Amino acid sequence: MSDIHHPGRRSVLAAGVASAASLGASWLLTGCTGAASAPVLPSAAAKGAPDRGGTLRIARPPASDAETLDPASALSAYEYLGALYNRLVRMDAKGHLAPDLAQSWEPDSKARTWTFRLRKGVTFHNGRAFTSADAAYTLRHILDEATASPQAAVLAPLIDPDRLRTPDPHTLVVPLKTPNAEFPSLLTHYNCYVVPDGSAKSIGRTGIGTGPFKLESFAPAGPGRVTAYPDHWAGAPVLDAIAFYSVADMSARSNALLAGQVDLLSQTNLDFATARVVAASDRATIARVQNAQWYVLPMLTTEKPFTDVRVRQAMKLAYDPEHVVKVALQGAGTAGWDNPVPPSDPAHIAAHPKHDPEQAKYLLKKAGQEGLAVDLYTSSYDPLFTPMALAYQDSAGRAGIRVRVKTASADSYYTQIWMKKPLMATYWYTGRPVDQLLTQIFRSGSSYNETAWSDKDFDALLDRARAETDDARRRELYGQAQTMVIEKGGAMTPMFADRLVGISRKVRGYAEYGFEFDYLAIGLKGA
Amino acid sequence: MLSFLARRIAAALGTLFLSSVLVFLAVQALPGDVATQVLGRDATPDAVAALRKQLGLDQPAWERYADWIAGAVHGDFGTSLVAGGSVGDEVSSYLANSALIALVTVLFAVTGSIVLGILAGLYRDRWPDHVISTVSLVGMSVPEFVVATVLVLCFSIALPWFPAVVLYGPDATVGQLLPAVWLPALALAVVLAAYIIRMARTSVIDVMASEYVTTARLKGLSTWRVVTRHALPSALLPTLHVIALNVAWLAGGVAVVENVFNYPGIGKLMLSSVQNRDLPVIQAIALISAVVYVVCNLAADLGAMALNPKLRTRGRTR
Repeated sequence: MSDIHHPGRRSVLAAGVASAASLGASWLLTGCTGAASAPVLPSAAAKGAPDRGGTLRIARPPASDAETLDPASALSAYEYLGALYNRLVRMDAKGHLAPDLAQSWEPDSKARTWTFRLRKGVTFHNGRAFTSADAAYTLRHILDEATASPQAAVLAPLIDPDRLRTPDPHTLVVPLKTPNAEFPSLLTHYNCYVVPDGSAKSIGRTGIGTGPFKLESFAPAGPGRVTAYPDHWAGAPVLDAIAFYSVADMSARSNALLAGQVDLLSQTNLDFATARVVAASDRATIARVQNAQWYVLPMLTTEKPFTDVRVRQAMKLAYDPEHVVKVALQGAGTAGWDNPVPPSDPAHIAAHPKHDPEQAKYLLKKAGQEGLAVDLYTSSYDPLFTPMALAYQDSAGRAGIRVRVKTASADSYYTQIWMKKPLMATYWYTGRPVDQLLTQIFRSGSSYNETAWSDKDFDALLDRARAETDDARRRELYGQAQTMVIEKGGAMTPMFADRLVGISRKVRGYAEYGFEFDYLAIGLKGA
Repeated sequence: MLSFLARRIAAALGTLFLSSVLVFLAVQALPGDVATQVLGRDATPDAVAALRKQLGLDQPAWERYADWIAGAVHGDFGTSLVAGGSVGDEVSSYLANSALIALVTVLFAVTGSIVLGILAGLYRDRWPDHVISTVSLVGMSVPEFVVATVLVLCFSIALPWFPAVVLYGPDATVGQLLPAVWLPALALAVVLAAYIIRMARTSVIDVMASEYVTTARLKGLSTWRVVTRHALPSALLPTLHVIALNVAWLAGGVAVVENVFNYPGIGKLMLSSVQNRDLPVIQAIALISAVVYVVCNLAADLGAMALNPKLRTRGRTR
């Protein structure tokens, strides 16, 4: 009936919207400040003491419309967890284990049974006292198949839920199936926050924990609010309250910060163009989380040509990580040299083979892969994927490797591309203890083993390291494991990137490490 | 007249059925299903299989489609695969928010652009026409997310008059949403107005050149009277179709603009549902959009009949 043409560009709806909008935004914003006058990014946010009280407003990307406050769940609303709950042990700013709800812990002589002494006088937000029954219940809840917790895969090979013992209200005894001298570090994961005994059915809505804030309201993928819990065992937090807002689109999040509607953008690594605009604003600035994420180009070791270890070595020798850091990160990070253990980790080893394009060519020739051409998949899921891929392409090209960079849809990237395509870009948050990192991502058969690398010697080395109770000797074994990952593994780790966090100029005391920021000390100045 | 209506309604129902089938097939073709999308990066094969079973995704596609269409006929759009609530309730709360934007946009765009279009038509090839035509051409060519971003830069960041994003969820009250409605509405109105202005301008030019306007002028009527009494109704006629189609577009999905402003409307729901592969929600939105589209077209046809003396009287003269 109608002969009027429907304007074609209006059908530009689905997949590209978010990326197009954010591209458009950063292009416009950069255009406004002008490239010539682009300010240098600040190295750190303002220091100094916050004023007591006030409400911090956080914009966060929602996990899904099916979000829950259950910390063990794969769909937990991540930003609420550190405010509402505590762990038994946590990581401190230097990457060492620190007491949280457990004041101390010790293994038996073979690191087979661990005893945790729990803090006294701790109460949940509903007034009930925290005891060892709650700690044991939390572990059982994570291991329960009905919870489908991602951390279950790490803990299930170690813990038999029926053998957990609670000899008194402040002692938890965990007998392990195999010796593990690093076991407590596995409990620092954000799925391991302690929930009350018997709360599996309700915890996703009530959010009752022992943390510095208690829940006032929560809507999945919507707004929510937590208020200071004055009876918190470590003292009341600086803030009166935190308001959480979910904003799915990244450019909408930075607009909210620039317009003064929120004070902090969570889980948002700002791209450099946006970061400069934010830093130039009167209202907002940038806080850096040093080496907060590590970027990977995983090669699937089960797919040709990466089944051949010489090809993998050539791919690594062919490119210069310093070049990738310079181009893709504009210097805001550290070269990875294919070692995924972050430089801040006490177990990190600095030794690595040098960038050697000639050796790469030689290895490829020996493997019968002269003039190798590979597809490298990226997406707009993270703003650094494509710059990293292009920097790699550029660098490896000098060694004669032809890399074709292909961009896939962001919304199905982690279901359709990750662990399916032989070569792609991805990243992880640092903050994993070394045993968890190497076990979860590199051990044969682990569900997160994104290179499908399987090496019996490596697995045996990890077992030996875990069973080794001498700290110096254990660190040496983890060092050897890193060398194996660098020399034989499928993961290229070009860089550790600082996370550029957009915060209001009023925010004081923003410090982030080990999967959460310091909820106790963070506050506002002149709010 | 009656057979015309009957034919139109039959065509409408056919359109609705066809669009539901097409959307269903399109969603099937999306890479990844709801189980893998919901569980995301942490999905283990066991968890995916369990969730697929729990959601009934292991049944054949045609069976799921038949279940859904049978419910939809009775007004039951099923349960959201992701949020777990009633799809009907979820969609209607988002739809109400979008309706607020649509209302303001239509008020802005339709009134403003008809006036501008008529002015341009009356001052054809003189400076008011040049200004209006150029500006509307620019509005037509710039994508709406750019318009929206410029508006945010000017009126929320540089001049903090309006909020840059909506921080409330879908159950926000009208009072909470009202301050945040103006910028998205303006962004949509800019894009929408361009089409209406150009249509209205062309119609006015055509009508003003017609014999009956010349006759009316020769009778000694003032220009104002000629325009309002004779030219306007005829000029509005073709413009109505453009307005109807654009209103359908407004109600059906303004995903781009709603996303820039984080506005809890139907476009944003559609985007997140597509990303989550939430089949029942996508289908409900598609069906509702189709209904709005069909109803708007019907309204435009009936409006055309009311405004066009030839169509109105055809039945009697025969």
